[in-house]
Parts: sequence; structure tokens; C-alpha cells
Amino acid sequence: MGVASEFKNPETFEPYQALYIHIPFCKARCHYCDFPTEAIDTDSPLIDAYIESLVLEIRAAARGGLLGQIKSIYLGGGTPSHIGARRLVNLIYTLSVSMNLHSGIEFTLECNPESLTSSLVRDVFALGVNRFSLGVQSFIDSELVTMGRVHDSQKAHEAIDTVLERCSNVSIDLICGIPGQDMVSWAKTLDAALSHDITHISIYPLTIEDTTPLAQAIKSGLLAQPDEDLQAEMMLFAQDRLAQAGVVRYEVASYARIQEDMQEDKKENCPCSAPDYNCRHNIAYWTGLPYLGLGHHAAGMRIHSSTLARERLLEGKVIERLSPQQAALEDIMLGMRLVQGIPHAHLETLALNYPKLSYHLQRTLCELAELELVDKTATHYMPTNKGWLLGNEIFGRIWALEEHCDDSVTIVSGE
Amino acid sequence: MTTQDHIRNFSIIAHIDHGKSTLADRVLELTNTVSERDMVDQVLDSMDIERERGITIKSQAVCVNYVSKDGQDYQFNLIDTPGHVDFTYEVSRSLAACEGAVLVVDATQGVEAQTIANALIAMNSNLEIIPLINKIDLPAADVERVRGEIEEGLALPADDAILTSAKTGEGVEDLLEAIALRIPAPKGNPGAPLKALIFDSYFDAYRGVVALVRIVDGVMQTGASVLFMANKITTNVEEVGIRRPTNTPVARLCAGEVGYLVTGLKDPKDVKVGDTVTLARGGATEPLPGYREVKPMVYTGVFPLDGDQYSELRDALDKLSLNDPALIYEPETSHALGFGFRVGFLGLLHMEVVKERLEREFDLDLVATAPSVEYHIYTTKGEMLSIHSPQEMPEPHYIERIEEPYLKATILVPPEYIGAVMDLSVGRRGVFDNMQYLSQSTVEMKWAIPLSELIMDYFDQLKSRTRGYASLDYEFLDYRASELVKLEILLSGKPIDALSFIVHKDKAYDRGSVLTQKLKEIIPRQMFEVPIQAAIGSRVLARTNVKALRKDVIAKCYGGDITRKRKLLEKQKAGKKRMKSIGSVEVPQEAFMAILKVDE
Repeated sequence: MGVASEFKNPETFEPYQALYIHIPFCKARCHYCDFPTEAIDTDSPLIDAYIESLVLEIRAAARGGLLGQIKSIYLGGGTPSHIGARRLVNLIYTLSVSMNLHSGIEFTLECNPESLTSSLVRDVFALGVNRFSLGVQSFIDSELVTMGRVHDSQKAHEAIDTVLERCSNVSIDLICGIPGQDMVSWAKTLDAALSHDITHISIYPLTIEDTTPLAQAIKSGLLAQPDEDLQAEMMLFAQDRLAQAGVVRYEVASYARIQEDMQEDKKENCPCSAPDYNCRHNIAYWTGLPYLGLGHHAAGMRIHSSTLARERLLEGKVIERLSPQQAALEDIMLGMRLVQGIPHAHLETLALNYPKLSYHLQRTLCELAELELVDKTATHYMPTNKGWLLGNEIFGRIWALEEHCDDSVTIVSGE
Repeated sequence: MTTQDHIRNFSIIAHIDHGKSTLADRVLELTNTVSERDMVDQVLDSMDIERERGITIKSQAVCVNYVSKDGQDYQFNLIDTPGHVDFTYEVSRSLAACEGAVLVVDATQGVEAQTIANALIAMNSNLEIIPLINKIDLPAADVERVRGEIEEGLALPADDAILTSAKTGEGVEDLLEAIALRIPAPKGNPGAPLKALIFDSYFDAYRGVVALVRIVDGVMQTGASVLFMANKITTNVEEVGIRRPTNTPVARLCAGEVGYLVTGLKDPKDVKVGDTVTLARGGATEPLPGYREVKPMVYTGVFPLDGDQYSELRDALDKLSLNDPALIYEPETSHALGFGFRVGFLGLLHMEVVKERLEREFDLDLVATAPSVEYHIYTTKGEMLSIHSPQEMPEPHYIERIEEPYLKATILVPPEYIGAVMDLSVGRRGVFDNMQYLSQSTVEMKWAIPLSELIMDYFDQLKSRTRGYASLDYEFLDYRASELVKLEILLSGKPIDALSFIVHKDKAYDRGSVLTQKLKEIIPRQMFEVPIQAAIGSRVLARTNVKALRKDVIAKCYGGDITRKRKLLEKQKAGKKRMKSIGSVEVPQEAFMAILKVDE
């Protein structure tokens, strides 16, 4: 599969800093999901065959020298926990002999409550997983049913407790704007989440993707279309509620517990030596660090050492090329997803390298400031509260400057 | 050369979709006029839009040879006509060039208003009519019912109606034979002074204006000096010829024949449909009857979405008007939309077709404002102003009275829908004239209706309220005084000239509130609240708000999402480009047409 083409000239690309491995299997498909995954029995030999091919990919990547600088690993899906401890151990063991899987590497395993067991947590923790991300979505049973989740709230509470027995670095995903959800039930979900001593929460407003069962149900009038205004209220409410509890936003959808809150004994318990609980792996995506994707439909990004041109890959095939200016612009756009936004110093560098693009960017940032979407501080441009909710206006206006890149490269092919 | 008694000039008339163009294709094939290599569907409909929509916009003429069963050689001139009410005048001129007409009726649909309207024009022109029932291959075909409708509705004997399937070719031979035997030969006098009827024209970049003509009397030959009688223009005949279907020069065209005429004339406005061509010296003294100036019925503002395309739009209009003398335009400036043109059209279909051609053939992005009619404003100073847009309306205290055009509308409908037509037409300020039963199943109603009301989706409403059974035909009636006011639409407190419209005083409140609601649905939520108001002068009749956009963010954006999400942003941007920014408000193109879709 994919990595083979990279072996010829590994030295021409910047080293990968993040590794994503995709497990495209779930117990059942959720009603809102349009991800590349399929519902499959845990016993299916298809899963074994897939793991086998992943093992070969990992070994090939190691031989190609692609894993030497990896600082974070994300084992995502799908539902990695669905494939069971034995196969996960097999996979992680392969990783541990293919790279230096030391305790400084952030290693996240994505899990769903229904397939998370105490022994699975203990086994993978022993091999280096030090961050668990749980697909909880809601603590209200009727909402979980609406979304076609396999677990109930009871199971979610148990799963979080199970992980916390061994690893303190736990993230959960929550969704707002579920049909039938209101501010009262949303507050209950947030409070239930905060009743656990978890370190990270991701909050997504529900998006209705075409072709999903939810889209069908809405089209046929069985369920109400999520109300954008209500979603906005819920996002604002979550931001306040979590902040009161010491869990603070650092990205559009990402909130992390601030470290001062941590008790000393827990700090020791957290094998990842990061200075905060922000997800280092995701930050790699938003700050233009190269990442390697392995497995079915996994995306990667690499940077040419000499030209700094950026390539996006899907299953190892180049699907897009960005020129250095386009890449710089993309970084600025993605930077605006983060709470610190864009440092002025970064813009000054840009002005030296690409004066024309920089001129237009400055104007756009001023417009965004006038619209109160962006705040200009002494050191940074950063999103405002309004800006968090209307991020597409910020991202869209910034990316629209692409027409001012003098070195534009045409996109190789679509997905 | 064929002698006059072996010439047959005829037209095929039909309601839209009854199969006219396919039938014409079969005639061309059977007479070997078009080689198989050049055969495409709807040969005579040369424009993409004609083929796609299955309509005929331009008239056409084609000459075919036919050897009848008894061995006689005939020259058939088939004159293809537009089928839509917008082009009724063109139809009447084309029919005036014929001695006969084939009336096509769909065996599954039966007789419709347009069928009757066109058949009546044909009967008034004393044409021999051959009824033809088409699509007999379809399972739903009901030949006996349709025969009955033709006899009752049109008072035409239908026993010997030709039965065809243009699709399979069945019965087309019978048609050719009937044309030869039943349609009379032309009766013109070849010895009399030249009289030729122009029934259509088109512009050729190399030849100038090419007129399609029917020689009524006399002879037209190359080199002769001729006079266009309505325009009083004298010029020389550079070339005459017949169309098979490509132009084939001949030395002369004689009485009874149909062909084309090339003169040195370059301006399409000099060669008018309906005009008579005669000899400059020793020509006829009286022109052929029936000529009139073609005047636009509806006017709309047409603006480029991107101001830079103004000159391209002007060039495109120039080019289109070469082949469409009915298309007139003059520059117009709008505060909201910038520089553009006020364009006059024969009707709504004509307008749609022109707009579509401008966008497709010339690659322009356009905003069109709601159509207006020509109002006559009598001022307190005793002047009469003809205005074509609400912006031209003077201040109320200068206005003594306003007159608006009324149409004579003829509606054919099954009796059970009389009430529905009454409700709709009275609601549109229609004045009932009379009603008569054409048959047990068809009633003909005549109304006087203001044109301005008719262009507000009257036809769509008529169709939906009569479950598609009603059909409509209309012609200009007269100007009548009405109490009209200018209703202004304000966005964020600023009047938007391109959204304002002229409306009857009694309807202003209803239309204003419906339109503000409609605009609220059309205008997307923006970064700030957008109040929408409808007002007459300073009096606000209705108001509503487009709430400010609260949330628009891609929350999930990880490795695999970045490319995809960025494309989504590009799509959003492209969507915005399709909108017109007025002040800081982004207004989609359809907002300017919203007034036409005000269901009551």
C-alpha cells in the first residue's frame, strides 16, 4: 500500500512528527456517521487480515525511516476498542519494536464505552498508550438512542471510571444540537462529564451529513433539523460551564483541564510529560507539522525539505499539492482554530517572505477585527467569542486570499 | 422548376410538446432532404435552447421535393413556426405565407388553448387545415376522444384526420400525400408587380440580414432594385434562393414560392417581419395586409453580477438583437445593481430565453430585476410619460393619473374549473367579459386583465388551480386608468431600487407583507441583522428581520478533514460570488424575481 513510494527518497521530506492509524470497524454505524468505517462482528477474520496488513505497513514505515521523529500517535477509527485487546496488543507491540515508543510520546487510543474493558485498558497502557479518548456523545439515554449509539449513559460512566483506574489522561467527546436535546439536558450532560476527573473534552455541534440515517429522518420529518441558534447557545454555555470547572478551550471544539488543577499524585500518574493536557497530536494538524497516516482511508501530510511545498496523501497517494505560500496561508487559517491565534511575529516573517500575500492578509485581519470576529492584542490575532461560533467566516476569508498566492499550485486530484 | 400548381406551402401548428419538431424531422427524412449524416433530432430547431426545451423560437422554412403516388413532382415549402403566445405575431405572419396548415394534436393530451389559438389564426387566414393526431403509438392514446375534441372544439371535420406516430414514422407517408392532394396551390399572379411577404429574418455575419420571404405576386430576381414598403428603404437583390435546408441560390423566385432574400442591408431593424417587398420601379402600390410594429410587452433590468462585465453584456445584447429585432434595450443605472440595461421583451418566455442565452452563449453572470410593463403616466403638467421601470416613476404629487396595459385573455378550461378561474382572475383585477361552451367539456372564458398581473405567475397559478387543464392565450387590449403606487423595499433601512415595484393601491399591503416574508426566506443570514421593510413613501406597510447568523463553523477538523473542509469553504465562497452585495448585504439573484412568485 501507500508507504512504498516514500522509501526511494525519504531524505527529501521533513520527518513525520505525528502518526495516525485508522481502524475502520465499529459494532454498529451511528445514525449521524459518514466516516470510513463499517459495522462488523468482532470475530470477523476480515479484522485479522486488516491488522495483518497494518502490521506490514508499520514495519515498512519503520524500515523506510519514517517513524524516527514521531511525537504523537493516534489510534483512531471507527472504534479501535471494538477489535479487542488481543489485536490491539499485537498492533501496539509492532509499533513498540518499530520505533522508540518512549513515555514522552502522546499515544491516544480511541474507544467506545461498550467495548472498553478493564483488561483492555491495562494491556494497552502497559504497552505505551497514555491517553484514552471516549466517544460518550451524551449522558442522556434518549439522545443516545436518537443518534444510534450502542451504549447508554450508565455504560459511559462505568467506562470512564474504568479508564481512570489506570490512566488519568482521559478525553471524552460530546455532541450538542441533538434532535430532542434542550438546554436542561445539555447542562445535565456537561455536569455528568465534569463529575469525572477527566482532562479533556471535545464538543461538536451535530452536523447532518447527507446519506446518513439522521439526514433521512430529518428529510422525512421524523426528527427536527438541529437549530443553529440553539447550537450556538449550547456552545457558549459549554464554554462557560467548562471554564468554571477549570476545563478551558484551546481550540474551536477542544477543551483541556489546566494543569495547575492537577494534584501531584496524578501528575506522576500521567506518563506523558506534556506541559498541558492539550492534545498534542491534534495540534500537529493545526500547526502544519507533517503526519503519516496508515490504514484504510488514512490521510497524511508531508513537506518537501527543499521547497517547503506541502502534499496531502490518502492511503499514501498524493491527492493535493500546496505551494509554500498556500501552505503558509493554510497554517494561518488553521492557526485561527486555536485560542492563541496567530502571533504578530509569524505575520512579520510572512511579510518578509511574501509581501503581497501578507498585505492582503493584514487587510483581511482588520476586516475580521471590525466584524468583531477576531481580537488584535499586543502579540496576537485571536478569535473572539463571536469568532468561535462563526469560524467559517474567518477561515473562509483567510483561505479566499489563496488567489493572491503568486506560486499557486493546482490540486492534483479530488478524493 | 416546379410550376405554381405543384407548389404546396404549409405550416405545422401544434401545442408545445405535441410532437411538431419530430414530425418535421420525419418529413425531412422521408423526402431525403437531409442526409442521414446530418440528421439530428429537431433539425429545424437550431438553437441549443430550442432543442433542450423542446420549443421553437425562430421561424424556419425548408423546401422539400415530393413525388406523389400518382407520379407527380411537388415542391413542398414547410414553414415551421414558434408555438408560444409570446410570438403570436410571428406565427400570424408565417401562416400568412401558407395555403395550408397541418394541425398536430397529441393523441394522449387532446386539444389545448394554444392549439385552438393557432388553429383560429390559421382559419382566419383561410388556410386549408389538415388535422393530424400524433403519438398514436403511446398506450394512453385515445384517437376517438381527440377526434371528438377537434370536431367540437375547432369545428373541423376529423373523420379524415391523419393518424401518425412521428416517433416511429407510422402515417407520415399519408401526411405527405394529403398535403399534395388537399392543400391548394398558391394563387399568385406571376405577371403582377412583385409583392413578397417577409415572415422572418436572421443575421449572417458575411451576408448581412437574410429575409425569409413568400412571393405572393410577381417575380423577384437577382440584381433587381427593390423597396421595403413599411421602411421605405430601397436596395438591390444580391441573391435569392431556396432552403434545402441550407441556402441554395436560384436566379429568381416566382409567385407562390418561398425562399430567402439577401440584400446589402446590415441592420436587422431595416428588415421587419410582416413588411412587403416590391420593385423600386413599377412596383405594387398597396402593401400586403397585416403588418404591424412589434412592441415589447414586458421590461426588465438586466445587470452583470460583476460590474466588469458591463461592456461584455452590451456586446452580447448587440449580437443577440441582430437575430431578434423584437429585443430592445437601453442603458439603465441602479443604485443597488450598478450599470446595466433595461431590456424589452415580447413576453416572459422571450425574457427567459434571452437571459439564458446571455448567460450560456456569452458566459455572463446576470441579475435580472422583476419585469415591469409600460405604464403611461399623465402628469399635472399635462405631459404623458411612458415608463418601463419603477425607478422612472415621478413623485406622487406630479402624477395626475396612471394608465396600464390590459390584455384580452382567452382561457379554455373544463367547466368544473370555472370557479377557480373566476377566483384567480378577479383576484388579479381581471374584468370578466364573456363565456361560451365550445363543447360539453370545454368552456372558453374571455377576460380583460392587467398585463402587470398576468406576468405575476398568473399562468402557473392558472395551471395549478385547474390541475393543469386550463390553457391561456392573450393579446393586447387597451390602456386603462388604475390607482397604482410605487412600493419600495428597504434593506437595513436603505431603499433598494432594484427591489421596488409598481402595484395597485389595494394590493400594496398584501404584496408588501408577502414579499418581505419571501425575501426573509431568500436572503441568507448574515453577520448582522438585516431588517426588511416594504413602504410607500415614508409609510411602512410591512417589516421583518433576517436574524444575524449565530453559528457557522466547521468544528471537526483533523488530518483527513482539512482538504475536504477547505473545499467546503471554497464552495461557500463560490456561493457568495453568485450573490449581489448591496451595501453590506449579500442578496441572492432570485430575490429580485421574488415578487413574481407571490402566492396569494
